[in-house]
Amino acid sequence: MSEDLSQRHSAFRFHGTWREFAGIAFPNLLLTIVTLGIYRFWATTREREYLWGKTDFIDERLEWTGKGMELFIGFIMVFFLLGLPLIVIQLVSQGLIFRGETVIAAAVTLVMFLLLFYLTGLAYFRALRYRLSRTYWRGIRGGSDDPGFQYGLSYIWRSFVGWLPIFLLVPWSMISLWNERWNAMSFGPHRFSANAEWKPLMRRYLLFYLVPFLVFVGAVAFGIAIAASGGQPDALGGTGMAIGGILLIFAVLAMYIVLPLAALAYYSKYFRLAVGGLRLHDLEFEFRARAPDWILFFLANMAIIICTLGIGYIFMPYRNWKFFIDHMEAYGEVNIDELTQSETIVSKHGEGLLDAFDVGAI
Amino acid sequence: MSSFFDAWHYDGRSAVRRKVEVQTIGQQFFLLETERRHGPFAFADVEYVQHKGDVDVYGLSGVDGWRLMLSGPVPAELSAHLPSRRRYGGWVDRLGLGKATVVFSVARAAAIAVVLLSPQWLAPLIPQSVDKKLGDALVGDFGGRFCSTPAGKAALKKLVASLDSSPDDLQVEVAKIDMINAVALPGGKVILFDGLVKQARSPDEVAGVLAHEIGHVREKHVMQALLRQMGLAVVLGGVDGNSGALVNNMLAMSYSREAEAEADAHSMKALGNADISPVGTASFFERLSELDGSARGGEEGRGITGYMSSHPLSRERKKAFEKSIVKGKDYKPALTSAEWTELKTMCTQDRNAKSGFGFDFE
Repeated sequence: MSEDLSQRHSAFRFHGTWREFAGIAFPNLLLTIVTLGIYRFWATTREREYLWGKTDFIDERLEWTGKGMELFIGFIMVFFLLGLPLIVIQLVSQGLIFRGETVIAAAVTLVMFLLLFYLTGLAYFRALRYRLSRTYWRGIRGGSDDPGFQYGLSYIWRSFVGWLPIFLLVPWSMISLWNERWNAMSFGPHRFSANAEWKPLMRRYLLFYLVPFLVFVGAVAFGIAIAASGGQPDALGGTGMAIGGILLIFAVLAMYIVLPLAALAYYSKYFRLAVGGLRLHDLEFEFRARAPDWILFFLANMAIIICTLGIGYIFMPYRNWKFFIDHMEAYGEVNIDELTQSETIVSKHGEGLLDAFDVGAI
Repeated sequence: MSSFFDAWHYDGRSAVRRKVEVQTIGQQFFLLETERRHGPFAFADVEYVQHKGDVDVYGLSGVDGWRLMLSGPVPAELSAHLPSRRRYGGWVDRLGLGKATVVFSVARAAAIAVVLLSPQWLAPLIPQSVDKKLGDALVGDFGGRFCSTPAGKAALKKLVASLDSSPDDLQVEVAKIDMINAVALPGGKVILFDGLVKQARSPDEVAGVLAHEIGHVREKHVMQALLRQMGLAVVLGGVDGNSGALVNNMLAMSYSREAEAEADAHSMKALGNADISPVGTASFFERLSELDGSARGGEEGRGITGYMSSHPLSRERKKAFEKSIVKGKDYKPALTSAEWTELKTMCTQDRNAKSGFGFDFE
């Protein structure tokens, strides 16, 4: 492998092609269908092996060593430890409602909700830990010795604090949770440090937060202006109705188009700040995608899925990973001699919880 | 594929990449650097990791991060000792993609068939006591919503006795809930909602519906449905949420249609044995069909809704009940008019019974 620094734009490079990926994704789809979905754990593994293997960091490819069986065992564990108890609890609370014990039923439901919430936080943590522990670079892997139980509690209280002042502190809770999660992780002998700030995120968040109000206020103001200038309801009745209808359509469109755009703009800033606050020993990271990149990426994904009548969905892991790696950047240096093997424990089961809650992403 | 054989090595302890030569000695090998010798390692411990670019990557069991990467034409004496490549995962690789697909398809069809068909002969094997306990746990006293007056109860008892030869293991109740509905639950429990009793124009109508629900109990439909749902939840557990639920509902629905038809047949037979005219039940469905719109749809309109809904169309059921009328037979009313009045007003008279559904739209 050449060491041509002038040619290299980023420490991270992805050189997979969608055609090669199709050769993995289509058999995966077929096998997943004929096995009633059970193959999907092995399918995910095969896709990751490809995506990681096609990703260079500096001068060596990444390596995914996770196994389908691990994901499968994780899923089975969740099914028996969580799925079955949940079904029983649901039956019990239904019985309680039948019997008129609504207070107890509500209490049972609340406890169930809190438990699920706790486990969601735990799942985010465990999934990150699992992914790092299965990612190798030059024979060295990442991981964490923290089981994440504390993080689950943090997830509950930080989320609640974020929601409490009419959802205004959500950026704080997102960033502080990101920091807490990554501060527990390591790669090789080095610990990650995450010091992302949340205050620079507030302007974008307020933009997103205020969109519904702005649209509403705008519509009302426009309506009043029309009503004031119209004056004669008999003569202008029809036109008034038409304008009202157009106004309504406009407002709905604004909600459907502007709101997701504002959300993407917010998320783009969030991810940039979060990754930007990340350090690993002498390495610093940067995520270079800005809001227009995210919006284009999102629109292209939609177009692909719609134009292929949904089949394009199987390319989403490829698209997501490519977008992620294409915009990742690292600065600083890696001392190869210092980079020794991680001492963290390796769990034998995969991200079953996360899989059960159906939350992907990195 | 490069034309020269190359071997690289990571020892898993540090990230230093080593150019090595493989020295094979029987079942073992050494990795030779210019000034160092690594090993010996046993070929039996070597595992295939993956194919990266034009490189085959091998690991060593028990040594985290140990890698041997071979590119170019591997010498025959070495390749004979190395494990073979892995593509889809164990079973699929052994069978080949095509054969595996066929095998999985057959296994899948068999699993679904077992889950769908076995409840029919599994349900009767469930002991009565378990069924009863389940019913008690679910229903209890229905939150005090069961209505009771001595005369009303007596009328209900008479009605049940005329429709079933061994009514002792049945528990039929009228619940103070203003809905036109009736349900059969585990443990031989049948609940008629007061709304249904109130709007009925004759005791014969109530008798037809009651006999239908008793039919569900006698044919063990409730336990069958429970078992089937549980089985489908397990088998379809691997499929993603939405599509799994859709398939699940479709399959369950087609079976519940069959069960409804069976219960209807049971009802007509019971009415016949009790010398109660099915005319009342037919006119009940006539009125229902006006509610559910099947009277308006015309013959063509019935295809889709008729297939999708769990209950056969009211109009078809009306016709079936009309057909079961035996001309010249001496039908008697199901209850005397005094008994009918008592049953109909039971919930109004019983001031102790709670009404509504608890949470509550009273």
